Amino acid sequence: MKEVMKEVIKVQDLIKEFKSKQKEPGLRGSFKSLFAPKYKILKAVDDVSFAVKKGEIVGFIGPNGAGKSTTIKMMTGILFPTSGKIEVLGYNPQEQRKKLAYYIGTVFGQKPQLWYHLPAIDTFNLFSKIYELDKKEYEERLEYLVKIFQVRGFLKQPVRKLSLGQRMRCELIASLLHKPKVLFLDEPTIGMDLIVKKRIRELIQKMNREEDVTIILTSHDMEDVEQICDRLIIINEGKIVYDGSTKNIREKYLKYKIIRVILAEKASSLKMSSLKIGFKGMKVISKGKFSHEIEVDTTKYSIQDVVQKIIASNTIEDITILDPPIEEIISRIFKKEI
Amino acid sequence: MIMGFAKYWEAGKISVNTRLNYGMDLLAHALLKGIYIFIFINLWGVVYSQGSNLIAGFTLNMMIWYLVMTEAVVTSPRKIVEVIGEKVQSGEITNSLTKPYNFILFEYANSMGQAIINFTTAFIAGSIIAGIFIGGFHIQWTTLPLVAIVIILGLTLHFLIMALLAIFSFWIEDAKALNFIYDKVVFVLGGMLAPLEIFPHWLEQITKYLPFSYIAYYPAKLWVQFSMNSFWNVIVGELVWIIVLIITLVIVYHICIRNISINGG
Repeated sequence: MKEVMKEVIKVQDLIKEFKSKQKEPGLRGSFKSLFAPKYKILKAVDDVSFAVKKGEIVGFIGPNGAGKSTTIKMMTGILFPTSGKIEVLGYNPQEQRKKLAYYIGTVFGQKPQLWYHLPAIDTFNLFSKIYELDKKEYEERLEYLVKIFQVRGFLKQPVRKLSLGQRMRCELIASLLHKPKVLFLDEPTIGMDLIVKKRIRELIQKMNREEDVTIILTSHDMEDVEQICDRLIIINEGKIVYDGSTKNIREKYLKYKIIRVILAEKASSLKMSSLKIGFKGMKVISKGKFSHEIEVDTTKYSIQDVVQKIIASNTIEDITILDPPIEEIISRIFKKEI
Repeated sequence: MIMGFAKYWEAGKISVNTRLNYGMDLLAHALLKGIYIFIFINLWGVVYSQGSNLIAGFTLNMMIWYLVMTEAVVTSPRKIVEVIGEKVQSGEITNSLTKPYNFILFEYANSMGQAIINFTTAFIAGSIIAGIFIGGFHIQWTTLPLVAIVIILGLTLHFLIMALLAIFSFWIEDAKALNFIYDKVVFVLGGMLAPLEIFPHWLEQITKYLPFSYIAYYPAKLWVQFSMNSFWNVIVGELVWIIVLIITLVIVYHICIRNISINGG
């Protein structure tokens, strides 16, 4: 392997364009498209540059279609850039894809790599051969990962019979068997409940701490990013709009939460003893007969206090605390003119 | 090098394992092949009852056993074009392309693993029906390993053509139409439905040089009419086509991989 540099990933002036067929609606449009197709050039990644140091955990977030998955796919060598330069662990991912593959691991949350109809152990054994692992080392490594991920109980069950959380733990093991230097995680907690998400996050952090694995994580879940990532890159419409510490974005932009309340009885507005909505720091986003959403400035009010007061003053069916949507954060970043 | 080969061997093994996991599906597959052979026995029985005992140099007995072989060979591999096409459309191909193996070789190992199981069950089922309704035929048991080599090379050729079509799905995303056309070409020009001798002479001569005939027609003909001369001719023909297709596949793959458009975010 080439000498590992301090910066394990370097991306410079990266551009990726796709040719997208444009079709007018209806049958006429279909015939027209058949004989005289029209194309539009879409810039999925537009002049992106960044570097990642060894051992960093970087969150790569953005709305759907922002270009984050396209960037990840170029870093792993799957897609070819239109222009620009990428280097991962000293390798050109496009020209040296197979060589690089020995040193990276990937988990794509919505695209499983485990053989669906067979037990996970069969896939692990296959991967040990794919990565050309020494038999003894593989057995020790597998034993270690099985222990920390706590999968022994279902290692021999067909993957199709496992729960989402169990499957993801096995997916992570499959991606870590060969001790990768860089791990790409694309939506690793998608579809999971809170407890399982927490466990997966802990395991990811453990691997980073103990093995110094550099991790690139994409997620729609802001809590994934906040809990795991030191650094955050926000991408929107193919461009980087923020590249800095996660702590910084929390302090600057995630200063409010949204509370969604479903009332058991019809009410025109929420009642809250000793708190009035409409005051600075608390505003109504939407209201219906049963459903109300308010935005709370967490620098002025404690969420716990607000929730307790809502529960005390209203008969509720359901209450949910949400982070502002990523689009909202991006919009506020633009307004701050970063 | 051994470590390199081991990954593909393991892929073949896991494919066999996957196929064996579904006993009912295998049984259904075997049953279907048995039904096809039964239909062929009745169909060709009527044809042979109209006149000569010999059609295109084949007796009824030889014809049926020929069809047992062609049916087993042609339908044994999985539909690579659809499998790879679906992987590209869903974005699942990302998992293959981020691993340190040759994608085509890996799919070959997978395909052959499954093909061996499918071929065996189809051949056994077809043979049982043929044995019951038409009787056995004189088999030179010593020739079986040689016929087996020809069958394996034929399956390899079958895979290479399908893989070439499948690679186009990197570009056009949906190569199902190509798969459909190829299936029909092999059925007719590959000699799956009947030996190529039934065609007009000029067409027979052309089809005998095309790669499709080396998938089903030649292995099946060797099975019912073995000769060492034919064996060597078939081997040479298969190897020539395999080399041509490998070179074409490598070139096309490298062009198409640059244009791949992967779905799924």
